[in-house]
Amino acid sequence: MLRYIATRILIWIPSVVVLLLAIYALAFYGAGDPIKLIFLRAPGDVAFDPVRIEAIREQAGLNQPFLVQFANYIWKVLHGNFGNSLLSGRPVWKTVAAAAPISFQIGLLAILLTAIVAIPLGVLAALKQNSRLDYLIVSVSLFLWAIPAYVAGPLLMVLLIAILPGADIPYGWGGIFDPRIVLPLLVLSFQPIALITRQTRAAVIEIMSEDFVRTARAKGVPELVVAFKHIMRPVLTPVVTQLGLIMITLVNGAIFVEYVFGLPGLGRLTVQAILHNDYPIILAVTLIGVTVAMATNLIVDLLYPILDPRAGQGGR
Amino acid sequence: MAVETLAAPASAADIEKHASLWSDAWHRLLANRLAMVGLAVIVLLILVAIFGPWMTPYDFLSQDLNARNELPNAAHWLGTDELGRDVLARVIYGARTALIVSLIVTAIAVAIGVTLGAIAGYAGGPLDSAIMWLTDMTMSVPNLLLAVVINASLKPPLTAWMDRMYQATLNPIWRNSLIVDFVLVFGAMALVSWPAYCRLVRAQVLSVRSRNYVTAARALGLPTRVILMRYIVPNAIGPLIVAVSAGLGAAMVLESAFSFLGVGVNPPAPSWGNMISDGLRVWRTYPHLLAAPAAVLGIATIAFSFLGDGLNDALNPKGRK
Repeated sequence: MLRYIATRILIWIPSVVVLLLAIYALAFYGAGDPIKLIFLRAPGDVAFDPVRIEAIREQAGLNQPFLVQFANYIWKVLHGNFGNSLLSGRPVWKTVAAAAPISFQIGLLAILLTAIVAIPLGVLAALKQNSRLDYLIVSVSLFLWAIPAYVAGPLLMVLLIAILPGADIPYGWGGIFDPRIVLPLLVLSFQPIALITRQTRAAVIEIMSEDFVRTARAKGVPELVVAFKHIMRPVLTPVVTQLGLIMITLVNGAIFVEYVFGLPGLGRLTVQAILHNDYPIILAVTLIGVTVAMATNLIVDLLYPILDPRAGQGGR
Repeated sequence: MAVETLAAPASAADIEKHASLWSDAWHRLLANRLAMVGLAVIVLLILVAIFGPWMTPYDFLSQDLNARNELPNAAHWLGTDELGRDVLARVIYGARTALIVSLIVTAIAVAIGVTLGAIAGYAGGPLDSAIMWLTDMTMSVPNLLLAVVINASLKPPLTAWMDRMYQATLNPIWRNSLIVDFVLVFGAMALVSWPAYCRLVRAQVLSVRSRNYVTAARALGLPTRVILMRYIVPNAIGPLIVAVSAGLGAAMVLESAFSFLGVGVNPPAPSWGNMISDGLRVWRTYPHLLAAPAAVLGIATIAFSFLGDGLNDALNPKGRK
């Protein structure tokens, strides 16, 4: 078990470092000279004074070799210093720290909503396999999985106004108890709900044909008890393994949902940074997204042997 | 000699079995109503993308400043936008962009994925581990974020390079900014899309490689190339078709996501994504500018999803109990 955890972490660390290196290299060689980028925004005589530019470059450590700069950047990031935004000039970590809690709150709510809605739906579909209800659940989840957030969000808004003329447009952020949260939360949860419903359905169908379920039924154990006691626990394993994918869909979805509904979270920050080539912010947000997704995968890897004891022994 | 006589009947039997496999699959697909609806929509989409320009009297660029922001009417079925351009014509040209991008991106991604997957599965050892590590890493990253970063950061140097080439050669081809757009959009999207195909092909190769008939073929001294082409590729093609049909839809969504964020194909070449993001600014007054492209994109992605699901059931009968 300990060895399993150690191997997982040992595999995880180089992946994260290589990824950071790749993203940093893209920004380093792609974005061009950060000093020029800054002065492109604030043109003045400084931009035409090569001596001063050179001095600033030297001071900012921009004349050092790539790997040294990368190490410096990682060192600063580890100390919470992401540099300054090119657009506003404010420290990146302040901007990010203001936006992150909003995204994390909505993300957690979406995961909660997914668990509450999707697992029962999946079990229901599996128990009534090949019935009309099953087909309905499966096709609706296919539908929800396919429709992108920037299509579902606007269409729902148009629909809302069409049904309730004069209704408040759900735009902006007022905390998680504000009714404006409902629509963005729904749209963000669509894909995870679809994914988990289908996963649960497939897992339940597979487990229902196992011997221990048949034995329980043959013994005359009531259907409800079979569903909760014998089927639910093994079902959770494949569902938990999807957590990494859910995280990715949430990060991707947040970019659009927050932009469409005007929520000042990390997603909207990302869009604005992309539109304005604000590199320090893009780097920081990408780092956060990648770290969250990869950390989730690590946690899933670590949880796996607990949920399914067969995985820990002898390694996979 | 012995190889020839043994191989010939085997391959004939192979073809016969394939024919029945494919016709079985086709019948199962025909019986799936959702999949047929999806297929019909996709065929319609392809027809519109090819013949669209002859189906509408308007050009996606021509502006009619006397008919701005019109609601859907007899002359303009889906209305006009703020420059008086016909929305239907733009949606139709958007279908072209969407289809071209998704076809090319999927082709590149499949080429990368199948090559790497076949190498990993067939070679094994450290090469396999390295390729799988790369695959897992790419898969565990939010793909949209990665693609956008690749796209946004490679744009300035590529544009600068094109400009230098133009200065050097004075060939107007280097002035065409569409080339930059397409290379970047295709490249960035393909770079985040290949891992699914790689994993799938590797798994197929691994499962087929240890079968008795492959061992027999190897014992007979058939070259690796023949073994790959005759036994391994045909076995992998069913799941690959399913993955490609899902991938086409995903690439279409990714392209519109790029355009929505303003890093995709540049206007005026219309794309559903940038039509949606334009519509988002004025949707309270002119909801049709938002609803039309959003609805079309939604229908298209759902069609691909239904068809992919139907193909999955049709080609992997074992999965359906």
